[in-house]
Formats: sequence, structure tokens, C-alpha cells
Amino acid sequence: MSRMRSWKRSSARQAGLDGNDAEETPRPLSASLEDNLDTIREVLGGSDDIVIRPIRLSGGVAAAIVFTEGLANEQLIAGFILDRAMSDDADQEHERTGRGAQEVVSELERHILAVGELEFLHVFKSLFHALLSGNTIVLMDGLDHAIAAGTKGWKDRGVSETSTESVIRGPREAFSETIRTNTALIRRRIKSPRLRLETSRIGRETQTDVSIMYMQGIASDKIVEEVRKRLDNIDIDGILESGYIEELIQDETYTPFPTVYNSERPDVIAAELLEGKIAILVDGTPFVLIVPAVFVSFLHAAEDYYHRADISTLIRLLRYVGILIALYFPSLYVAITTFHQEMLPTQLLISLAAQREGIPFPAFIEAIMMEAAFEILREAGLRMPRTIGPAVSIVGTLVIGQAAVEAGIISAAMVIVVSTTAISSFVFPAYSMANAIRMLRFPLMGLAASFGLFGIILGSFAIVLHLTSLRTFGVPYLTPFAPMNLGEQKDAIFRLPHWMMTRRPSLLTGSGGKRQQPAKAAKPKPDK
Amino acid sequence: MRRVRTPGTLLLILALAMATGCWNRRELNDLAIVTALGVDKAERGYHVSVQVVDPSEVAARSSGGSFSPVTTYDATGDTMAEAIRRMTTVTPRKLYFAHLRLFVIGEALAREGMGKSLDLLSRDQEGRTDFYIVVAKGHKAFDVLRILTPMERIPASKMHSSLQVSERAWAPTVSVQLDDLITEIVAKGIQPALTGITIKGDPIVGRELQNLRTPDTPTRLQYQGIAVFRSDKLIGWLNESESKGFSDITNRLNSTMVEIPCPEGGKLAVEVIRSKSKMEGSVKNGKPEIVVTMRSEANVADVECHMHITGRNSLEEIEKRAEETMRLNAEQAVAKAKKLGTDVFGFGEEIHRASPTYWSRVQNEWDQIFKELTVSFKVDMKIRRIGTVGESFLDEMKE
Repeated sequence: MSRMRSWKRSSARQAGLDGNDAEETPRPLSASLEDNLDTIREVLGGSDDIVIRPIRLSGGVAAAIVFTEGLANEQLIAGFILDRAMSDDADQEHERTGRGAQEVVSELERHILAVGELEFLHVFKSLFHALLSGNTIVLMDGLDHAIAAGTKGWKDRGVSETSTESVIRGPREAFSETIRTNTALIRRRIKSPRLRLETSRIGRETQTDVSIMYMQGIASDKIVEEVRKRLDNIDIDGILESGYIEELIQDETYTPFPTVYNSERPDVIAAELLEGKIAILVDGTPFVLIVPAVFVSFLHAAEDYYHRADISTLIRLLRYVGILIALYFPSLYVAITTFHQEMLPTQLLISLAAQREGIPFPAFIEAIMMEAAFEILREAGLRMPRTIGPAVSIVGTLVIGQAAVEAGIISAAMVIVVSTTAISSFVFPAYSMANAIRMLRFPLMGLAASFGLFGIILGSFAIVLHLTSLRTFGVPYLTPFAPMNLGEQKDAIFRLPHWMMTRRPSLLTGSGGKRQQPAKAAKPKPDK
Repeated sequence: MRRVRTPGTLLLILALAMATGCWNRRELNDLAIVTALGVDKAERGYHVSVQVVDPSEVAARSSGGSFSPVTTYDATGDTMAEAIRRMTTVTPRKLYFAHLRLFVIGEALAREGMGKSLDLLSRDQEGRTDFYIVVAKGHKAFDVLRILTPMERIPASKMHSSLQVSERAWAPTVSVQLDDLITEIVAKGIQPALTGITIKGDPIVGRELQNLRTPDTPTRLQYQGIAVFRSDKLIGWLNESESKGFSDITNRLNSTMVEIPCPEGGKLAVEVIRSKSKMEGSVKNGKPEIVVTMRSEANVADVECHMHITGRNSLEEIEKRAEETMRLNAEQAVAKAKKLGTDVFGFGEEIHRASPTYWSRVQNEWDQIFKELTVSFKVDMKIRRIGTVGESFLDEMKE
């Protein structure tokens, strides 16, 4: 359990909020209300959105409530704290019994602060974290600790439909920016007590909540520990998106291939958790990370598991074809038309040669120009205001597709090659893998232009060698192909029926490898 | 362990890649795609001609039509290589031979011996050797290359595909590729045979686009007969029925028409749909012997006479007559080859397989022994179908 302690300790270490070095010993609250309020004012520098509301509790105890405007639900504060704390009932009761501040606190806790979460804070560091997370702090004169009431409530986008991973069949929900909503979305799918959630704060300044979720007993302890260790080692001022975490914990930086999977679909995350993977949720982003992420998982889409197995297998095969086209088509075209013309059927050669008549650029330059134009067009389409979209696509199709061909600057075949490649690059279920392939396409084209097919083979060798050398949290990236595991081929290239997939991936899971009891997992058939 | 400095290594690899400078890169529009190559006898050495495609005239989308789809160039030289390189003085681009469809040998050169002209093509590393070799019967190869053909706008492709089609569906042609030819020239037990190509009509008219503008193209290229060689020298031609027999014996026959006379006059044709032939050699009492077994299946295709084909035994009758015709073709072919004294069928190879010891004794005088060789035929034809009608309507026709 020492690992658990270090996990907690280090997250506490990073919780220094007062702008000073995180290593400073935490400062305790004093018993004087005025002193405490002064410290708060001093540390926060009198920011306008911090509301300090002095109140007088029943029995004449001086108190103050402090909250952050916009982050705290003010209705909750008015209804449950201000109202109840200053109510006459409490006043009379107190006069009758004549109890001190200590009793008032327990009284408040019992009757008045009728909110779900309540926490006692003894040091300023935790006070500030609670305050700036949207909780309401109740301070009382003569009390050397503060009460934080859970009043978090801010404007939230709510759970909306997924925009990056849409499906025909399957749930539509996507994660939102609030970590609590996201954990709830996962809990709703896995109602198992084995689903564990550990939260820490990362980011010296942003104090971002980062949670790891895993299935106790399914996920490998070793990998869970590794994830904790890597998250512990992060020391950065801010975490604004899960991409920060991804880059800080991934095994290998110099690789085009993603070794951390991300998704904004709760059903995908739930499925991965059930396979023994570990989810990392970051407050403020709908993208949840999954580790370890092996190569094939980037080629699988959520929908593969919702459709019938045969259809899914067919669609997967189609996807692999698309991937090969996206990676190789332009380089093959360049290599074959500039080095290996003898490989083409005569009719095709003549037709291609006719299209190239009068084209001023070598095929490689032509391909690079078109690819660049396409990438620019795509990037422009992503960033520009939505209303200009149609204009850009019209200019794109007309100028690049048609005018360039008619003007004899680009051959029609090249337009076909580039557009086929472009379309194929959208078959990737995972955008991060699409980017990897997109990036590798260009060096392959360069190799094709200088060495022909030989260069392409060389490049492919390099890619495969690189892939085999990759690890993701200690798991070989090409699992289950290298190392080869026949049993796990059921859900790698093909997608076999669910009743055949009785075991979980062995390299990821600890002990509980069985998904189904083999006896029950037999092929469904009518009773005899 | 010393760590490799990644950026430095990458830079080095990049520099190496650039240093090659794409040395043998050729863009498609730098190529002059040669579809046909012709060789003729010149006073000294060879007269070599090429047929080069003009892609923009041939491509599907282009309007084309006003210029010739192909251009021919020719040059003479002491060697093939010299003649071809001499052509660069007139060609705008480097000649590219990988897509050669047809290699035409002029008859005059073939009679004199064509062996020397083949080395260049078999040695060239960029060539695909899937082109067909034919002999220009009675013409110069250069004349054949200059004839324009309709439908297939590239004459060489036309001849390539038409050779394939006629070999499959008609039979008296053989499609021979370079490596087969060279093997046959070298081997003692088999001699080469090439299809002949000839010009029907006026060669001068055939060179002009005018040739394509009328429905009955006045000048055409046509395959005709099979040229038989002894080693690399042409020594004679087989006519059409002999050619059919030749294809049948050498198991090249796929489908053809066999015409047979009806008992009461008129003719009847059966379409051979599958055919397989096998030769078996043996040496008996020091005398070589060949048995050729030909099995084929056929359909009745055309009945142009009064004959009860659904009647009893009538199909057997047809089978027997068709077998007779095929046997006759084959025997004629063998007789012609014996007369010319050249074993184009590869009977020698068969004897070689059957009795290597005997072969090693006689291989040098095989041409003589071949003339006396006993060749017997077992022909077996099965009529499978008689088509969509039974009796011909001709039967009901009042005469």
C-alpha cells in the first residue's frame, strides 16, 4: 500500500495554491475569523469574483461565507446555507442551550448545511482548492478550521451527441467537459463494485482533477501501478486537455504512432475498461484517455461490436484496404509511373501517358503539390468559421480539381490518386492514427520518387521495425501479432461473434481472463 | 552502449536519399512507347523499324482522329543495337521497349536466319518478354508496321489481341513468345514455328488515315499460315488446314470449327469446345514411334444439309467424320513437315523423354530420322450438344 500513499502524498505536494513554491509547508488556519479572512484577501489579491459575505450566526457568533461567483451555485448557497444558518429557529435554540462555536458547528453540520458534500479544512491550501473549485467555505470566529460545502454548480454544456465518433447503431452520448459527469457516464454502464476511481490533482496552477478508472481484478496491477507512477511524475503548471497528459506519460515521443487511445464515447471507454485497460479522465475535456493502447485498437470502431460479426469483419477488411490506400497509393503511383512503367498494362500506360502529355512537373512534384493543396484545404476547413465552409470547398474543387487539370498543370490521374487517398484517409475510426498515416505518406512518397518500389519496400520495412519496437505501458504495440497470440486473433483483424470471444486480452489483464464461462458461451442454438 | 544521435542520422539518411538524384527516373511523358518492332534484311546488317504510340491520339478521352495514332521510325545499322540507337537522331524521346506487343521479322531475313537479331531483346533488362513474334509473309516488316488498323487504334495491339483471339477460337495460328522461340531454335528435338502476317490490299493506301475512314478498310493486316523453321532459318509455310493440324498436335488447339461433308451433299460444321492432345514416344526395335492422342469435345454448330442429326447413330456418324477431318489435317501437317525436313512438333523432344539413350545416339541426325518417323493418330471426338434446335429447318423446306 506504500504506493497508494505516495500517490496521495505527491498529489498533495502539488496542491500549493498560494502562488508560492509547492514545497512550502501548508499553513494552518487560525482561530480568528478576521485573520483568516485577511489571509484569504491577501492571497487572492482581492479578485472580484471571490465573494466574502460576513454573517452573524445565531447566538452572535461572527462568521463568514466565502465562495467564487460563477463556480458556486448561488441558489444553493442562499437556500441551504444563508437561510438556515441565520434562521430564527437556530437562534432560539442556541440562546436556550448557550453552546459555543464548537457546538454551533456540529449543529450546522447536522441541521443546517443540508448539502451533500461537507468537508473540514484545516490548512489554507485545501481551503483555496475547495474555494476555487466552486465550494462554499464557511468560516467561524473561534474555530480553527473551515467548513467547505459542496455547492459546485456552473454553466455546463451537458451531455450531447458525439461529434467525432458518430455511429449508425449505438449510443449517441458523448462525454462533456465536467469530470463528474464523465465518471457518472461510465458508472452508469458498469455498475460493478470493482470499477475503481482514483483522483489526483495535476498542474501546479490549474489544479486539474485527473482520475484513473480501472476494473479491480481485471486490469493488471502492474500496469495500474505504472500509470500511477507516470502521473505522479508529472510536474507542470497546467493541464488543459488530456493531450497534455498523453504526451507526458506516453512511452515514446519520437513516433508518429499514437500509443495512447482517446475517445469521447462512454461506451468505448466502458468496453476498454472491461478488457482490462485503464482510463484516464481529465477535467475540462470530453476526451478520455485509454492505456495501454495497441496498434489494432486504433483500427477498431465502436460499431464493429454492435453489428453482426460477419458484417463487422467485412467492414474491418474494407477499412484495412482504405488504410493501405491512404498510406501507399500516391507513392505507388509515383514509383510505378516514374520507374516501373513496365508493370502497367499497356492500355493503362498509354492512357496515363496521354494524360501526362504536356504536364510541366515530374510526377513526384505533382503529387506533393496536390497533397499539400489537399492538406491545406482540409486544415482550412477545420479552422474557419462555419459560414465560409461552402466557399472554400467550391474554390477547392473548382481550382484544384478542375481548373488545374484543364490548364494542363496537373494530370487527371493525379487528381484521382490524391482524392482517393484523401477519401481513404477518412476511414480511420481513430483520428490520431489517421494523422500518423498522413504523416508517413510524405516520406514514403519521397522514397518512391528517389528509389521507386525499392524505396517503398524500404520505407515499409522501417515502419514495421519501428512498430515492433514500440511499447505502450510495457505492452508490445503490435500485440497480438508480435508477439503472436493465436487465441487473440479473434478480435484483431476479424471480429468473431461475441459468443466465441470468451477470454480477455492476456497481456493486459491480471488474473481474471475470462469474459464468459465457456459452458454458457457455446453457440446459441434452439433446445433439442 | 553508445546511443545513436537521431537527428544527425536522419539528416545523413536524407542526404543520401537526395544524393542518388533519381538517376533512372523517367516521367511518362519522356517515353516513346514502342508497340511493335520490325527487323528486315539490309545490305549490311539490319533495317530496324519501330512503331511508336502517340498517346494523346489514342487515349479514350481525347478527340483524336486527325493525326495518325502511331508513328514509325526506321534506321539501318550493322547490329540491332546500333540501328536502334541511330533512331534517336529522329525520335523526339528515348524509345521504351518494355511494352512491345509484336516483333515482326521480315521474310527475307527469316529465310536467311534471324537468330542474331534476337539477342538484344532477350538481353535487355527492362523488357517484358510477353510480346508475340510473327513473320511478315511476303513483305518487309517495315511495311507491316506502317498499316493503320480500325477499332484498335494501335496496330500492334490489334495484332497482339487478334493473334490471341484467333489462336483460341480458330486455331491455325500460334502465339510464340521470345523465350519459347529461343528454346526451340536451340533444341534439337523441336524446331520453331511462327505465325505469318501479311498485308491484304495496297500497302501504300494502308499507311494513310484514309484507310480507316471507310467501312471495308481497303488494306488490312491478316495472319496467314505458319512459318516453319529449321534452327533459325525459315524453310517453308503450312497452309490453313495444315496449320490447324499443327495446333492440334501440339496441344495448342482450344476451340475451332471443323467442317465435314454430309452424306447427301452439303456441309455441316462442329465447334470444338475443348481439345487436348498428347504425344507419346517410344522406341521399338531401334525405331522411334510417335502416337498422338487427340481428345476433343464439340457441339454441332451449323447444319447446312439434309441430315437427321437426332436420328440413331447420326451423332456417331458426325463424330466419325469429324475425327476423319482432324486426322487428315494432322497427317497433312506431318507430311508437310516431313517434306520440309524439320520437326516443328517437338517429336524429337518426346523421343528424348521416352528413351534418352537412343536420343543421345541419334540427336545429330534427327532431321533425317524424322522424315521416316512413324506417326500414328488416335482421334476421339465427342459431340456434347446439338444446339437449341433439333433437326434443321432445312428439312421441312420444300425443294
